[in-house]
Amino acid sequence: MQAQQAAVTVTGQNLANANNPAYARQRVNFQTSDPVPLVGGIQGTGVQLASIQQIRDSLLDNQITDEASVGGFWTASQSSLQNAETELGQFLNQAAAGTDGTSSSSSGTGAQGMAAQIDGLFAAFQSVATDPTSLPARQALVSQAQSLAGSFNQVASRLSAVNGNLNSSIRTDVDSANKLLSDISNLNNEIARTEAATGSTANDLRDLRQQKLESLALLTNVQTSTAADGTLTLSIGGVAMVSGAKLNDTLQAYDPGSGQLLIRAATAGTALNVTGGSIGGAIDTRDGALAGLRTGLDSLASQLITQVNSAYSAGYDLKGNTGADFFTGTNAASIGVTSGLADDPAQVQAAGVVGAAGNGAVALSVARLAKQSNASLNNETFGDAYSQVVTDLGNALSNANDQVANHQAVTSMLAQQRDSVSGVSLEEEMTNLMTFQKAYQASAQIISTVNLMLQSLIAMKSG
Amino acid sequence: MRIAGTSYNDSLVNQLNFLSSQQFQLQTQISTGQRIQKPEDDPAGLATALNLQTQAANAQQYAQNVATLQTTATSAGDALQQLKTISDRAGEIATSADGTASPTQLRAYADEVNQMIQHAVQVANSKDGEHYLFSGTKSDTAPFSSTVDANGNVTAVSYQGNTDVGQREIDENSTITVDVPGANTSGSGPRGLLADDRYGADFFNHLIQLQKDLASGDTAAVAQNDQPALTKDEDNLIYHISNNGIVQSRLDSAAIAAGNRQTSLQQALTKVAGVDVTQAITDLSQQKTTYQAALASSSVLLQLQESVMQYL
Repeated sequence: MQAQQAAVTVTGQNLANANNPAYARQRVNFQTSDPVPLVGGIQGTGVQLASIQQIRDSLLDNQITDEASVGGFWTASQSSLQNAETELGQFLNQAAAGTDGTSSSSSGTGAQGMAAQIDGLFAAFQSVATDPTSLPARQALVSQAQSLAGSFNQVASRLSAVNGNLNSSIRTDVDSANKLLSDISNLNNEIARTEAATGSTANDLRDLRQQKLESLALLTNVQTSTAADGTLTLSIGGVAMVSGAKLNDTLQAYDPGSGQLLIRAATAGTALNVTGGSIGGAIDTRDGALAGLRTGLDSLASQLITQVNSAYSAGYDLKGNTGADFFTGTNAASIGVTSGLADDPAQVQAAGVVGAAGNGAVALSVARLAKQSNASLNNETFGDAYSQVVTDLGNALSNANDQVANHQAVTSMLAQQRDSVSGVSLEEEMTNLMTFQKAYQASAQIISTVNLMLQSLIAMKSG
Repeated sequence: MRIAGTSYNDSLVNQLNFLSSQQFQLQTQISTGQRIQKPEDDPAGLATALNLQTQAANAQQYAQNVATLQTTATSAGDALQQLKTISDRAGEIATSADGTASPTQLRAYADEVNQMIQHAVQVANSKDGEHYLFSGTKSDTAPFSSTVDANGNVTAVSYQGNTDVGQREIDENSTITVDVPGANTSGSGPRGLLADDRYGADFFNHLIQLQKDLASGDTAAVAQNDQPALTKDEDNLIYHISNNGIVQSRLDSAAIAAGNRQTSLQQALTKVAGVDVTQAITDLSQQKTTYQAALASSSVLLQLQESVMQYL
């Protein structure tokens, strides 16, 4: 009866945890009790509970852990690249069309993204070249240039913030990972003690440890091995963080001098190459696609400043002055338009010779820079170089999207397999419950039958 | 395969999420008419689209350049016609002022020529908007200024402009010049409008001389010197009128070409980035049906699960 009662308790445990995804169903294993020799033969003494076994596939567990690292990596990568895409702000919007049916890129209002503003800058130089004495055309040029410079500044600053956010998230994830490492080493300790003391597996503690391990795998890639005493040895990047019940080392985010955080072992000091999990994803995106984007924009801004100024400074303004620059600054964050041009557009140096207000030769040569290939920009024009920067980002994000979708498909498949092995099936548990209940009733019936027999025996004597 | 209780729910949630995201994407495409909104939708396609937009921007800019230049060329053409009228009248006077004309007549002609010189200076100093038409690129300065003596007769007209002309781009690496310098006595460069040594044109000086000869009654000088001189001026003017016509016609062609290019670029852009709305709506309605089927089937299964309890 006690055996059946224990079985019912285990069934109750399974039912209670039916919706707990980290729980692996448990099963009672019965064993016949030791028989005793009696006159006339060896007689059985009933049943005892041999063990409560956890139904778990460790191979599936390992696969799920590894897949969690992959998922963490690509999810972190995807979300930071989406951030970068939003902050870059280059979208296609054909709804904002000009009155002649062309798309919004060329109209002054509703222009989308820097591609249209780059086109607009050179178009404005064309307008000045065609009518150099027109002050409105000059004003429009300065305004267009200020918009473009402003966009460069804003995008540079926003992408710098994205970079900062990635560094912050690395710090946060390192703290979470260290907490999980400490939890796992504590659980190792308890599992070892419990299993040594009772001689049976500590099912629920193991479930909890597996859950912690999977949470850790989301943050960083881990290598694990199980020791004979039930403890889990855990390494990250080749350095053993947890072995036995001891927490050997923890993770530390440090600045190697470039302002971009990397990971090393806190005690041992060795640099760790984290290639999975959200920490790995953040580092990879920050130093890969995001760095490429920021560098590309800086190169573009720098070349624009250099080339435009080089052609422009040779020109003469309406008052006969020459030699001034059009753009100030050196990169995307610092590019600006020479102050004074906005208030006095007559200072725009459009003419190629002095004293000829209608000469727009320098303005024309600047306008023609739009079609010139730049050796420093992979022999592309300004517009194409910008387009390349956008395409690279788009490819990286598109790839991340695909990887995340793949990962989701694989994860849901593995989860289904694990549920199939370890998940609680209500039908099965309810049926088992009935079986154990009947067995309990049957055993109880034996007792009441023996009780009746004993009463008859006692009645015999008193009668 | 053994099915656990959580398998149903997880599977349903995944499927519904997937279908919802498909529907959302289709709905966005239909409402914007674009297959590509963001770089991640189709990186290569976006690059092509941006390139097409740049070309369209270029075409529109050329169209604007042409429109600006057409105004200038038209104004210049009007001024040239007026100068031609003056030139014709000067020629008539030179022919009429022969030996048969009386001194009174000749003095009257002289006065008329003096008026014509001043009128011609006025026309030559025409502006288009803010800039002078016939100063070369020194278009902030009036091209001609006249000196008048005590009797009100013009004694000299000097040219204040330059002989430089502006190159204006109307198409890829294709420039045109609409500017005409009022005078070019340097012997090289663009042909001067009213004075050019290479072609014997010197309109104002010839008119001034005509006025002097008429005033002094020297009809022989008029016939031998002034008349041939004015013929050269007329030829020069005819050249410029014809040239102005050619420039206007070139500008018209460039305008049409730019317009056509804009249209074809817009079509190309729609092909790259536009969505086939009919197809998208069909797909959306299919997704909707699948979504409803998923919901319906899951509700049936959830009811079945409940019934296990009832049986036991």
